[in-house]
Amino acid sequence: MSPTALVLADPRSPLGIRATLEALGAAEVLLAHHGGGKLVLGLLGHSLGALRETAAGWGADEVLLLDDARLAVFQAETYAWAAETIVKRLSSPTVVVLPGSTLGRELVGRLSARLRGGGTSEALELDLEDTGGIRVRRPLFGGKASETVSLPAPAVVSLRANAFAPPEPPRPSRVVPVLLPDPGAGSAGAHLLERLPVPVSDTPPLTQAPVVVSGGRGLHGPENWPLLEDLARALGAGLGASRAVVDAGWRPASEQVGQTGSSVSPQLYVAVGISGAIQHLVGMSSSRCIVAINTDPSAPIFKVADYGIVGDALVLLPPLTEAVRRVRAGVVP
Amino acid sequence: MEAVVCIKPVPEADSRLRVAPSGATYDPEGLRYTLNSTYDEAAVEEALRLREAGAIEKVHVVSLGPARAEEGVRYALAMGADDGLLLETGPGDAFDPGATANLLAGAIQTGPHDLVLVGRRAGDDETGMVGSALGEHLGIPSFAFVTGISVEGPSGSLRLRRFTEAGEEVLSVSLPVVVSLLKGAQDPRTPTLPNILKARRKPLVHQPLSEVLARLPAPPVRSLPVRFDLPAPRTGARLVEYQNPSEAAEKLVRLLREEAKVL
Repeated sequence: MSPTALVLADPRSPLGIRATLEALGAAEVLLAHHGGGKLVLGLLGHSLGALRETAAGWGADEVLLLDDARLAVFQAETYAWAAETIVKRLSSPTVVVLPGSTLGRELVGRLSARLRGGGTSEALELDLEDTGGIRVRRPLFGGKASETVSLPAPAVVSLRANAFAPPEPPRPSRVVPVLLPDPGAGSAGAHLLERLPVPVSDTPPLTQAPVVVSGGRGLHGPENWPLLEDLARALGAGLGASRAVVDAGWRPASEQVGQTGSSVSPQLYVAVGISGAIQHLVGMSSSRCIVAINTDPSAPIFKVADYGIVGDALVLLPPLTEAVRRVRAGVVP
Repeated sequence: MEAVVCIKPVPEADSRLRVAPSGATYDPEGLRYTLNSTYDEAAVEEALRLREAGAIEKVHVVSLGPARAEEGVRYALAMGADDGLLLETGPGDAFDPGATANLLAGAIQTGPHDLVLVGRRAGDDETGMVGSALGEHLGIPSFAFVTGISVEGPSGSLRLRRFTEAGEEVLSVSLPVVVSLLKGAQDPRTPTLPNILKARRKPLVHQPLSEVLARLPAPPVRSLPVRFDLPAPRTGARLVEYQNPSEAAEKLVRLLREEAKVL
C-alpha cells in the first residue's frame, strides 16, 4: 500500500510558512523515492480566512482544514489531539513530517508519544523504510557528529530549518474541511493574555536564518557593529556574536552563537573577527559553508572554515558589503 | 504546589567523541559527564527562585541514567533542591528521548507534580522532545520555548511567556503543567561548601528501572540507532589572496557565488 505523508502547517509567521514549505518539499521527495504516495497538509487554526486559498497552492495533494476555536492558540496538547484525529482518517502507513519551526519542534515529542510511534527532531535527511518507519539522519553534539536512527511506524519527525527545499513546482491542492469531535482534548486550560510584537529588526532570527553573520573581538568595539549590520542586511542574514563580545557587554546574550548560546546551521556562516574557541565552533560548525575573516592566520576558525580572508575586519567589511550588494542587485563582479 | 525538575548528565562539550565498535552510537568510555550544561542548571535555578518567592513548597529532582548520574542530582541538591530520584539504568541500557519521557513520567506520576520543569534540550542528542512527550504521558498540558514563569492570576494557574516566530506570547495556564524552558533564570547559583555538605544528607533514592517499567501499561516505543558519524575533518579554509580590500571582497563573493553556490 502506498504511504501517506502528513505535514502540519505552521502558518503563524513568515518563518513558520517557510518551514512548512520545507516540510512539504522533504515529504514530497521522501514519497517520490519510495515510488510515490499521498502528500497531505494539515492546516490547523481558527479564522484561517485567506490562508485556506494560499495553502492550497503549496503543493500538497490534499489540504485538510481544521478551523476550530479550540485551535486558536497553539497548544501542543490540543494540536496533538487534532493531529491524531487526522492521522486516524488517513490510510496507513502514515509518516508525519513537521516543520523546523517552534510549532513542529514542540509538537514532535507530544505527537509521537500520542501515536505511540517513533519520533525525533532536527532531521537533515529522511528515508522511508519498507516497514513504514523512517530512517533519519540528524546532528548532535552541536553538529560535531550526526546519528542515523530508525523510527518505528507511525513515525513523527521535525526538520532542521534550512535543510530541505520547498516543493517545486507547487501544484494546486484539494481542500477538505475536517470537523473535530466534541468534546475536545483534555483540559486545554491555556488563555492567551497578550501577544507582544516581534522586536523591530530587519534581520531574521538567528536559529532559522539561511545566512548568519557573527562578530567577535576583532571588531574592536561595539561602536563598529554598524559595519557588520550593513553586511548582514545586504545578505539578508541573522546577526550573531561570540561569547567574548557578549561577556564584554558589547552585544546582547540573545545573539550569542555557541555552546551556551544558539546553535545554528545556515547555508552560509560568516565569522568576522572571531578566533574560533571550541565553545563557538560547536554552535556553528554544521553550517553548510563557512567564511572566516580574521587578522591571525593561525586562528582556529580557519581550520573549520571553507573560505578565509586574513586581514582587518574593519577594513574588509565595507568593500565586502558593497560587493554583496552588487551581486544581489544582479551586477556580477 | 510542588515542582519536579528533570535533569540529564551529558558528556562535556569539549569531549573527544569516538564511534563505538557497533558503529551505531558513540563510545561512552572515557568521556567526562557534567550536569546537563547550562540548560538544566537554569531549570533548577528557576524552580528554586519560585520556591524562594513562596510560589512552591518543594523542588524535587529526577534523572534517568547510570549510577554515575547521581553526581548531577547531588549537584542540583547542593544548589538547593529538596530531594532527588535517580532512575538507574543498567549497562547497555539505551533509551531514546521518547522512551526516556515515558519512563520519567512513570516515576513522576506517583508523586506530586504541579509543575514539571525541563531545560531547553539535552546537550548531547539535542532533540528538545522530552518536555512535550512528558506532558502527553502524564496527560497534562505542556508548553515549550518558555522564557519566563510568574505566579500571577487565579490560584491553580501560572503565567508563562513563550517565544514564537510571530512574537512573544503571554499565556495563563492551569496546573499541573510541563514547562520546557527556552531560557531559565540567568546566572544559576553555584553551590557553597556548606550546601554541598548539606546535600550529602538530603534524600536521594536510586530506583531500578525495572520497577518503573513494571508500572507502565506498555513497554516504551524505542527507535533504533543505525549509524553514528563524526564529520570528516575539514581540510582548512581556502585563503583568498589579495592586493587590496576591494579585490579580496570581489574574489570572495565570486567564490561564494560560483563555487559554493550560496549567494
